[in-house]
Amino acid sequence: MIGDRILGVVLLLLAVVYGWEAAMFPEPFGGSEAVGPETFPLILAVILGLSSIYLLVRPDEDEEWPHMKMLAELGFVLMVLAVFTLMLQPVGFIPATTLMVSVLCWRMGAKPLPSVFTGVGSAVVVYVLFNFLLELHLPAGLLKLSGG
Amino acid sequence: METLNFLLQGFAVALTPENLMFAAIGAILGTVIGALPGLGPANGVAILIPLAFSLGLPASSALILLTSVYAGAMYGGRISSILLNIPGDEPAMMTCLDGYPMALKGRAAEALAISAIASFIGSLLATIGLVILAPILAKFALRFGPAEYFALFTLAFATLGGITGKNQVKTVVAACLGLMIATVGVDITTGNQRYTYDILELYEGVDFIIAIVGLFAISELLFFIEMHAGEGFKKVSLNKLNLSMKDIIQVLPTSLRGSVLGFIAGVLPGAGASLGSFLSYTMEKKVVGKSGYFGEGDPRGVAAPEAGNNAAANGALVPMLTLGVPGSGTTAVLLAMLISLNIQPGPMLFTQNAELVWGVIAALFVGNLILLLLNIPMIGIFVKLLSIPPKYLMPVVTLVASVGIFAISNSPLDLYFMIGFGLLGYLLRKLHIPLVPVILGMLLGPEMEKSLRHALTISDGDWSILWSSGLSVGIWAVAITGLVLPYLIGPVLRRRMAAAQDKDHSIVD
Repeated sequence: MIGDRILGVVLLLLAVVYGWEAAMFPEPFGGSEAVGPETFPLILAVILGLSSIYLLVRPDEDEEWPHMKMLAELGFVLMVLAVFTLMLQPVGFIPATTLMVSVLCWRMGAKPLPSVFTGVGSAVVVYVLFNFLLELHLPAGLLKLSGG
Repeated sequence: METLNFLLQGFAVALTPENLMFAAIGAILGTVIGALPGLGPANGVAILIPLAFSLGLPASSALILLTSVYAGAMYGGRISSILLNIPGDEPAMMTCLDGYPMALKGRAAEALAISAIASFIGSLLATIGLVILAPILAKFALRFGPAEYFALFTLAFATLGGITGKNQVKTVVAACLGLMIATVGVDITTGNQRYTYDILELYEGVDFIIAIVGLFAISELLFFIEMHAGEGFKKVSLNKLNLSMKDIIQVLPTSLRGSVLGFIAGVLPGAGASLGSFLSYTMEKKVVGKSGYFGEGDPRGVAAPEAGNNAAANGALVPMLTLGVPGSGTTAVLLAMLISLNIQPGPMLFTQNAELVWGVIAALFVGNLILLLLNIPMIGIFVKLLSIPPKYLMPVVTLVASVGIFAISNSPLDLYFMIGFGLLGYLLRKLHIPLVPVILGMLLGPEMEKSLRHALTISDGDWSILWSSGLSVGIWAVAITGLVLPYLIGPVLRRRMAAAQDKDHSIVD
């Protein structure tokens, strides 16, 4: 119930802001036409607005939401993916991937040693496959500097 | 006769050694993807699109690869249904009902073989249906003007929730979100910037491939972690295959009936493969009557839904190719592939890109045969794959997905977008907002807006042009029916499907 209500409020806000912005679009060069850049967005804003009001009035039963601990866990996973992205170019594909895959395996319940093994293995295999077989160059990062 | 000629040309494309190889690779990958629980066909095809894209494959090869993955995933879905009692994807749900009991009785190998044969028949008949029906529909669709197309796009969204859809308003919300994302970027007609906030990367809009991979693959990872599903599942062991000709003949009529029903369900908007397999199973139960022992491991109960869902999967390609309007999640992902290859599906596809489209259709025949040959002798290998625990598999899948996205334009920003869409996908799924309409909205948004503009330019701003022809009135009527009907008969159908499932569980317990 509460989930759909919150969703309804968020969507209603979105519809209003989205529609408001559409109405503020500058008139296109060469004068206005029957259908301008704002027409389609305005239709969408109205439909989304009406639907969100329906959700507010008649919300569905809630799905069970995870507890704080699990939410932190999921947040951690997203952070691991972001760190992977951050490391990818400066540090290189192999270290970044090893870290990401190992940590994800570990968080999904694998023991540390097999996790690291999967991480290193998948990093090297994907790197070799892409760089040499498929000729798509993944960032080498530090590996390139030390290897000359 | 003309069709036959085109088809022969298609085979010339599909049978080149290179394309045969892609069909085989696609078939193997697809079976693996379909077999692994939690990695459905839409998800699998989505992960492979950026890879096929960044490898710079020619359009026909890329499409042959991905349609083979699509066909393979439909085959693969049954393996976990039969051995684990967990459907690999939604349409394989009905296969659990008799497949798992058969496996429990020590006839797992027979169940797998029969389902492979039924899948083959279903796909084969439906591809023949596609060959016959698609050119006719394409010719008919040439009469569609922009107003009719606008109505047709609306119809696609209205029926996407399916007859069994629970909350139609949530489908509408999802479609709106997708269409709204599609409006981000420079407006093609006027050059106006919309919702770009002067961020350069947003000028070209949001790349739907990134969105698809994020919404499907990353949110799936989050769900696996939340459900602690890292350990995998207990499976029934495989016996030695002991299949006689008599067994095959016994399921032939069943497979034929299932195929026809499945194909029709696939072509119609809003029905899809799940309903196709459900209808085939229930009809078979009625036709066979008292002599059957459905729910307790009747081979016909395995053949019917498998023929049905494979036929429906191929049937769903008819509206996708001829009208550019996909009827299911996976065909929506295939549509994404076409658009990113700069191929606009629709009636013109059959005249402008005849070689390509017939090549793909021929590849469906070839892929189907490869799949049958793969699935009977090599089934043991696929079964072994089921023992890879998700705790190792999902991180590697996430890696492959990220590499694919990164390879498109070597931009870390794309990866951040992917992660963001992953979070969005998780939240939407938790709130029971379906993801497929979001994706379809992103895909169809630009075309939908263009046809609206086009129609109103013709009529000089008179909105009544949208429902001025008999054809468009008909399409609107179907769209409205599709939106309202689930409220009337949805609860009944859902109850029946649930009842069929419960009965199955009570036997297992």
